[in-house]
Amino acid sequence: MDVQQLIKEQVSAHPVVLYMKGTPQFPQCGFSQLATQVLHACGVNEFFSVNVLENPDIRQGIKDFANWPTIPQLYVAGEFVGGSDIVKEMYQSGELQKLLAEKLGKQPA
Amino acid sequence: MVTPESVRQGIEGGLACEHMELAGDGQHFEALVVSRAFEGRSRVQRHQLVYAALGERMREEIHALSMRCLTPDEWRAAQAQHG
Repeated sequence: MDVQQLIKEQVSAHPVVLYMKGTPQFPQCGFSQLATQVLHACGVNEFFSVNVLENPDIRQGIKDFANWPTIPQLYVAGEFVGGSDIVKEMYQSGELQKLLAEKLGKQPA
Repeated sequence: MVTPESVRQGIEGGLACEHMELAGDGQHFEALVVSRAFEGRSRVQRHQLVYAALGERMREEIHALSMRCLTPDEWRAAQAQHG
């Protein structure tokens, strides 16, 4: 399957998707770790994650998909939310909790 | 080795900035970018403007760039807040 199509299917099929280096249990980059921690702090303990270090095609393809050259990348309800800086800023301002509540029907943590 | 100064020049070369602060160790960089171009744009769009200014260097030379992208008004407000 075309990698762009694969990514589209992943972000459509799962409400929260994090493209990261490593896994939520063992992040292999401080920025991916930060994004994981923020999701946990928002009460999102289960989410679909893709370890780009094990998927070189996705590692390149995801940069084109969102026109975004860095990893991690967070998607909620099929939409690109941002990288680690944006995720952190949105958490600090409460916007991320609000977005997750709206899109997932969850109460803010 | 990529210097903070060369990253600054790269951003300024593609984006008119009112103010910029840049620090880094050659691989990881942190930037505060203040530009009128950010007015009316989302966080994602603001970062994309900075990435576009850096072009291929962002993919090849710069491992990580943490950014805060503020409009001049937001920057002044942030300064007032933090005294």
